[in-house]
Amino acid sequence: MSRERNISVIQGLRYQGGGVQLAWLLHRISGLGIVLFVSLHILASFFGGDFGKFTNGIYEAWWFQLFVIFCALFHAINGLRITVLDLWPKLLEYQREAIWMEWAVFLPIYGIAIFVIIQTALGG
Amino acid sequence: MQVTMKIFRFNPEKDTKFHYETYTLEAEPTDRVLDVLERIKGYEDGTLAFRRSCAHGVCGSDAMRINGRNYLACKSLVKDFGANITVEPILGLRVIKDLIVDMNPFFENYKKILPYFITESPIPEDGRERLQSQEDRERFDDTTKCILCAACTTSCPSFWASDDYFGPAAIVNAHRFIFDTRDEAASERLEILAETSGVARCHTTYNCTVACPREIQITKAIGEVKMAMVTGKV
Repeated sequence: MSRERNISVIQGLRYQGGGVQLAWLLHRISGLGIVLFVSLHILASFFGGDFGKFTNGIYEAWWFQLFVIFCALFHAINGLRITVLDLWPKLLEYQREAIWMEWAVFLPIYGIAIFVIIQTALGG
Repeated sequence: MQVTMKIFRFNPEKDTKFHYETYTLEAEPTDRVLDVLERIKGYEDGTLAFRRSCAHGVCGSDAMRINGRNYLACKSLVKDFGANITVEPILGLRVIKDLIVDMNPFFENYKKILPYFITESPIPEDGRERLQSQEDRERFDDTTKCILCAACTTSCPSFWASDDYFGPAAIVNAHRFIFDTRDEAASERLEILAETSGVARCHTTYNCTVACPREIQITKAIGEVKMAMVTGKV
């Protein structure tokens, strides 16, 4: 212990950074989700056959679509917030408000997506 | 009120792994967390190790994680945390003993940004101070408040990932000189900060600004340094 840095993934996740750290964490998770989605597409096209059908089955499943839309939508909106704040550093004084605005934009759009996907999954 | 304080303990002379010890004692709601730690060290367990110096939020010695977030123990009141308080060392630095961490990597990063006044210009003819307008002074007023407590740097996920990253505190102190009209080494500092371990590692997480006990707009300062780097305008 004494020769090592006092840090691990668990300790980092346990840090009480609040809403700003949650946004940072979700940005990483959603980025990985998008990579997973694109990778599945490439693998399905490359191998085809039974493997392709199996992979298609995963990313066409309603629960995976909910996950992918969450990832793409959150990553895009959060990325836009960070880009705007990076380009106009003066706005960083309103970081908290920017995060609230981000959720205010994200939640209704994702809510509509959930409604449409679930309705379609139930055959509506 | 009765306070139960759970404290991170590690003694390199006998422990191979850290553990937590719990102390229950009486405290006033208006006591500071540092007061409670002093009482534990003075009356219950003299082996407890932590840094403190001025105890008034100026020296920056007693940055620690209190209930999972970085604070200065001398500026944190018991009533703000409740009856159960967990105290741990700041993250990303080697623990020397209990709440004391090795600050050397932090200060090595600080030194890299040349945190001192650099000028080649001769002193004014009257031999007195180098004058500056109030507007020019205001540009870096906020970043002069840094006390190098490391609360910001050790709350930063990019620093957790690698202590090569200069960290928010070093960049804040670079900002203090880059935007000082009397200093003439802004381009040199911007070149240093353009390294892979410089400002590019900041992902605008904002943990640093939330953790700063001096309420410095750290992420904004880093953003201004980024813009100065891109535009070349100071």
